[in-house]
Amino acid sequence: MHPKFIGNPRFGVIPLALGVCALALSACGTTTPTHPAKSSAKSSSASSPAAAATGNPSTPVTLNEAGSTLIYPYLQVLAPQVHAAYSNITLAPGPGGSGLGISEAVGKLVQMGGSDAYLSPAQATANPSLLNIPIAISAQAVDYNVPGMPANLKITGNILAQMYEGKITEWNDPQLARINPGVTLPAVKVVPVRRVDSSGDTFIFTSLLTKTNTAWANGPAFGTTVTWPSVSNELTANGNPGMIQVCKANPGCIAYIGVSVENTALQQGLQEALLQNQAGKYLVPDLATITSAVNASSGSTPANLRQSLIYSSGANSYPIINFEYLMIQQTQPNPTTAQAIRTFLYWAISPTGGATGGNLSAVNFVALPTSVIPKVEAAINKITG
Amino acid sequence: MRFLGNARGTGGDAGPTVVPPRRRLADADLTRRDRAVRAAFLAAALVPTLMLLFLAAEMVREAIPAFVYSGSNFFTGQIFTFGNLYVTKETIHNGVAAPHGASYGALPFIFGTLVSSLIALLIAVPVAVGAVLALTERVPTRLQSSLSIFLELLAGIPSVVYGFWGILVFGPLLAKHVFPSLTGLGSVLPFFRGGVGGGEGLLTASLILAVMIVPIIAATTRELIRTVPILAKEGALALGMTQYETAKVVTIPYVRRGILAAAILGWARALGETMAVLMISGNLLNGFPVNIYSPFSTMAATIVAMLDSALTDATGMAIHALAAIGVVLLVITVATNLIGRLVIRRVSGGAVLPVGRGI
Amino acid sequence: MRSTLRRGRDAVFWGLCLLALALVIVPSLAIIASLLQQSAPALNPHLVTATTATNGLQNAILGSLLLMVGILVVAGPVGIAAGIYLAEFASPGRGGILRLGYETLAGIPSIVIGFVGYIVLDQEFHWGFSLLAAILALSAIVLPYVVKTTEVALLQVPATLRDAAIALGLPRVTILRRALLPPALPGIASGVVVALAIAVGETAPLLYTVGFTDQNPTLSLFQHPIGYLTYVVYLNATLPTQLEHEVAGAAGLIILAMILALIGLGRWAGRRAARYAAQLPT
Repeated sequence: MHPKFIGNPRFGVIPLALGVCALALSACGTTTPTHPAKSSAKSSSASSPAAAATGNPSTPVTLNEAGSTLIYPYLQVLAPQVHAAYSNITLAPGPGGSGLGISEAVGKLVQMGGSDAYLSPAQATANPSLLNIPIAISAQAVDYNVPGMPANLKITGNILAQMYEGKITEWNDPQLARINPGVTLPAVKVVPVRRVDSSGDTFIFTSLLTKTNTAWANGPAFGTTVTWPSVSNELTANGNPGMIQVCKANPGCIAYIGVSVENTALQQGLQEALLQNQAGKYLVPDLATITSAVNASSGSTPANLRQSLIYSSGANSYPIINFEYLMIQQTQPNPTTAQAIRTFLYWAISPTGGATGGNLSAVNFVALPTSVIPKVEAAINKITG
Repeated sequence: MRFLGNARGTGGDAGPTVVPPRRRLADADLTRRDRAVRAAFLAAALVPTLMLLFLAAEMVREAIPAFVYSGSNFFTGQIFTFGNLYVTKETIHNGVAAPHGASYGALPFIFGTLVSSLIALLIAVPVAVGAVLALTERVPTRLQSSLSIFLELLAGIPSVVYGFWGILVFGPLLAKHVFPSLTGLGSVLPFFRGGVGGGEGLLTASLILAVMIVPIIAATTRELIRTVPILAKEGALALGMTQYETAKVVTIPYVRRGILAAAILGWARALGETMAVLMISGNLLNGFPVNIYSPFSTMAATIVAMLDSALTDATGMAIHALAAIGVVLLVITVATNLIGRLVIRRVSGGAVLPVGRGI
Repeated sequence: MRSTLRRGRDAVFWGLCLLALALVIVPSLAIIASLLQQSAPALNPHLVTATTATNGLQNAILGSLLLMVGILVVAGPVGIAAGIYLAEFASPGRGGILRLGYETLAGIPSIVIGFVGYIVLDQEFHWGFSLLAAILALSAIVLPYVVKTTEVALLQVPATLRDAAIALGLPRVTILRRALLPPALPGIASGVVVALAIAVGETAPLLYTVGFTDQNPTLSLFQHPIGYLTYVVYLNATLPTQLEHEVAGAAGLIILAMILALIGLGRWAGRRAARYAAQLPT
């Protein structure tokens, strides 16, 4: 009934030895109780050991990351934890904007480029060995700093597009009054703030504007940089923290700010607007609304993981959510670096590794949906050295 | 001291004293080791020139596709955009393919660079010359060296620190206390009318640029003023002229061309200034400043701001476009610098020749 | 004796000149005061013991020092050798061309140098973020100063020393080593020191040749970004919290202190040169 395989000559010593070695390798160097790959039930990589060796690399590896200021706070949270889990892996994240992240990943200047925007068709064609690997779901808030304006202002993508086109110039515009009945809107000039650096936040913000305003779709459209219409009051800012800085200093401002710094934004005195979704409801980005949006759109993720989650259907879905990507070259200069990257990525998406409730909620992120995980792991397995 | 018209030389010679040509080490004897050393030193002396040629050649090489694509639009166009990178269609001009909707019009940057540096110059030259005159003519000698330390301080402060001070202190100060009163001038000068903004704009940046170029103008002017023959000045004072009249009639005309040269060199410095302007200019794209307080962009600041994401453009045109801006900046800066040095060499015979920053 | 009008004009003119002097003094005092005020709360040992990941400056200070050492090793010898060639060996024609070369190089904007470093060294040569690329870019910026001051220092060596050495029939290398360099050395040193002062304040070329990182610098010449102080000032000035501004102020203060120390050193060396030169027979 129970095949005696330990010591059974039919099975031989070799499988026994391999089994012992596998256990020994997974145990050495790791201080977390469970190995991430083995703990994920849906993981398909556990059955292909040769391609997906993970674990503490044999020599110290520094993984340089730069780019998205939306993912940056999350990586700052993860960095000490991954180093504690794998002593030879040091994650060194940096800001700079998603455009810089993609650029430096393309130019092989950093191991991982952080980006809120997936690769464009042209970038993917020109760099066939560049992978965009999501590790979390994030969102974006629309904040305002208007003296005399009450909290919980309702706003739509269409109105935002017109503000950034210069067509709506005052906060007491009738379009705003219509959706905010009973609210006295002050007569203050609208000061739109945009990102001057090539930005994933710009990408997801303009994606919403493209979906809600035809003139914007036919004009600037969406991208990490767009041809912003010339608006006389418009101000520029560098990075998400810069958006907070400029909006705080300029009354009348409206700015798009990633949720990972939203706590700071609110602390600094900015107010969060309620953004209208496809179903017509006005929502702020929080765990419930982001999760609802994720569930409504995650079934159709392609294998190359390039998917926009903007303006998804669903009554309670927040309209601006996105995958947080790390751009990584498929072929690394040596096997040790490749192993370090794979190990970090597996750890980062594991609920017992990096994607813990605590880490995610510290930056208002949400974990990747389980339906996407196998595709992410398939991408991770492509990284070799 | 030799007086004009006196044919007598010193020491009883028949004619004027002859200065022998300066003997160089090259006139000494040659050993084999000397030849090797000379070759090594020649190689070292070639390095700056080779670097210069390499830089110029690389910039031009990288810039050509953008110039071909844009044609004259580069110098007349207002819109500068890498295009829509998320659409697969490409725009093709003159045989060069760029992302859909890409347009490389650099006129706003050229305008911004020239206007901000000219305003800076207009402010810096009188201030520098006045300060130097005050320092050399009016300030008691024992205070001179301690006060001139401030000039060297200004020269030594790095560009980012100027930008830091501009963003956090100077800009907001100007916007709150100075600009509102300046709008009064708006009735006479159209550029002073309108919204005052938060301090990041043309006038703030020009003022900071002015502070940055004062040292180079002042240092050159100071060296030039030292060459004014003291006899002429004393003669004027002996005739009963006030110190102001002495300065007006003797000192300033003597150094006028030198001040022009110093101004040109200071202008060249302002043209190439990057970090402080990047931080304080507001980085306006695709338009011109509406008034003197509003955001604008310069060539150098735009290159820094956009180079970090240039590789996102798979066609490579973004790099070419930024290189094209760099070539225009290079040509303007080098030309200005050379003209300035030419003028100053003619004035002072090479005795006064600050290199670059005036430290 | 002098009319009131003339005296009045005199007073107004000099009043304006003194105002101009004040306009020069006030900003420099204001900037220093602003740096001191912004950075005061942050001036504690944490700055030196922690990296920029936790609002310290350890990696940035080490990186800036590393870059200065690199300049000393690369631009120093090359610039001095070039200056010696121009002062002692070059014929007037060839010397004129080479001089034009380095003076033109001095006028090139630093971002152009950074751009070429990024595209050619980091990308085409596949150096990645490279300490060597950063050192080469900074050298391109500071070489003209080293060459110029070396040339001037050698030109100021009295002719009699040179003539005497030549008359003794010494080989050139010995003349250089024994008769010419020793009196010129303080002047040459001041040039090198000015070069270091300029290098420590540069940002634009470094942004693209060597990136930035929170980690302490390694000595690898290639494929490794390093941190440096000027970037911290640049980045933190745009961040919203007070602490980040304080760290930027502290970084600015340290840079300024380094520059002033270097310039002071240069001036002291220059004064020693003048005193030594005054003692030499003319």
